[in-house]
Amino acid sequence: MSVAFKSAVDDHVLDELRAIVGDDDRVLGNLSSRVNRTRVPAPFPVHRWADHMPDVAVLPRTAQEVSEIVKLANRLRIPVVPRAGGTGLADGAVPLRGGILVDVKLMNRIGEIDLVDRTVTVGPGINMLKLNEELKRHGVFYPDDPASYPCSLVGGRIGAGGWSLLGARFGHTRENVVSMEVVLPTGEIAQIGDGGGRKLRKSSTALNLKQLFTGHQGTLGICTEATLELAPRPETEFAAFFAFDEYAKAWETTGRLAKSGLATLAGVVLFDEWKIAYLRRDDEAYIEQPPSVRAVVAVAMYGRRVEVEPASRVVMALGRSAGGKYLGDEISAGDWASRHDRYAIPLHGRSVEGQAVPMSWHCEDAALNYSVLPQVREQWHAIVARYRERYGIFDDWGMFAYTNGPYKPWADYLVEIDVGIWEQKLDEENWAAWVACKREIAEVTLAHGGSITACHGATRAGDAELVPAEMGSAWPVVKAIKRALDPNNVMNPGKQSLDEAYEDET
Amino acid sequence: MSIFRLGDQTPPEARRVNDAVVMRFEHVYEVEPSLMELTGQQHLPAWDTRRIVDSRLDHLAWMHDHFADEVLLAGEESETT
Repeated sequence: MSVAFKSAVDDHVLDELRAIVGDDDRVLGNLSSRVNRTRVPAPFPVHRWADHMPDVAVLPRTAQEVSEIVKLANRLRIPVVPRAGGTGLADGAVPLRGGILVDVKLMNRIGEIDLVDRTVTVGPGINMLKLNEELKRHGVFYPDDPASYPCSLVGGRIGAGGWSLLGARFGHTRENVVSMEVVLPTGEIAQIGDGGGRKLRKSSTALNLKQLFTGHQGTLGICTEATLELAPRPETEFAAFFAFDEYAKAWETTGRLAKSGLATLAGVVLFDEWKIAYLRRDDEAYIEQPPSVRAVVAVAMYGRRVEVEPASRVVMALGRSAGGKYLGDEISAGDWASRHDRYAIPLHGRSVEGQAVPMSWHCEDAALNYSVLPQVREQWHAIVARYRERYGIFDDWGMFAYTNGPYKPWADYLVEIDVGIWEQKLDEENWAAWVACKREIAEVTLAHGGSITACHGATRAGDAELVPAEMGSAWPVVKAIKRALDPNNVMNPGKQSLDEAYEDET
Repeated sequence: MSIFRLGDQTPPEARRVNDAVVMRFEHVYEVEPSLMELTGQQHLPAWDTRRIVDSRLDHLAWMHDHFADEVLLAGEESETT
């Protein structure tokens, strides 16, 4: 059986695409349209930009159009790459083999707002911030809150299996998508949910497909409509930041807060001394602190005032219970608000000599249990220090750990090390060094019983080849599902080592 | 309402914060000029820096409003400064 590889999208294919969407302006074969839909904010091999460009970008408006595009791709074995906001911190939306890029930004309609059964139905091209501005007047909100809140789109959040800053209180993307319409890799349109109902949160009928269709990194289909959770809009927000003179005390305090049992707890974040040192030298908005501040713990709560106000007193006591010092109202409120919009991060770091240089931002993420955070932190920093010393184009921007379990913040954490990369210096040798650095970081994660990605996706060399090892005995199941749903491997091929699903075919 | 005076638009003298940072305006960190040899320093008039800082505060207030009707604070000063 043949599978899709680097495509040859010719004039005939372009004509077919124009016939499908009925609008020449939504079939974009020009260079700038393709260049601008090639990379995402994750570090990118800029010296090989053309290798990742799509052959054509299409902007459909309906599920039927998406379905016809995918059927065409199957017929001609052309790769299809779905793309929403293009704000991912891994390569889910980056074409690895050219092909047709399906950009869903025009599918941004807000449909039914059901205030009785508490759902809103939207297109995948809507942004959460814009959606919530509409929902506010109804006293409800969609509580999916990534650090890219102002710029990422619902479709990308579903494809990536997004993580939310408010996940401990409201759940992450998976928990907040009630059901969705998906164009499968062979072009059929399917309604996917928990059981058959479009607005049900729990069912035991057949198989739970909703989990399968969130977080597949665009490898199992394209979401064309989503029915989302409507939560009561919080009356009160409370945030508090505490400073520590050593990491161990901050780690202990993080555990105490996460295990507090406070129902309004939305998240707890632990920033280590490398992160504080980075902010102290390169964050223009840093508020001056004495050198004794080496680690910080942040905590946020949302709910009714009658819940949040008494709980805030518990938080203040826990925050100080292991030597923490309150950082004051200005930092607590202001820094927490900035957490919703971290794409405004300073895009410069330091050369080995300490000179300021332009750098892109990479977050290497993992899911790890609380108990191993101190050991993993030491090993990750040692890896980055070694590569920084040898290659001179990397900078360690520090680490944070953030409560990860939806509704259950007490046990595992989204852990990230932020690494600055001097992209202007990238060539084959330096890019290979970065991939090797990523791989070493991921190997430490696996050695400590973690997952190599909590939310960004394992879609590029350095991560992707470790997916089979992490999945272990479940890997044959994953391959069987991929091959069954996508027999021609047209849907975002090359990601997550899923090409292995086709290797044993005759 | 503030009055624009051309003579007020030169940024104040920098105060050293640490080996890598200087500061001319409250809460506005700048990289120490001697560490900006590879990347040229952009010079801003004082009004533009103040505009950016004010916009930052507006942005944070606007962002708060997306998530809750009110922001409850501990009502305490920083214990580190």
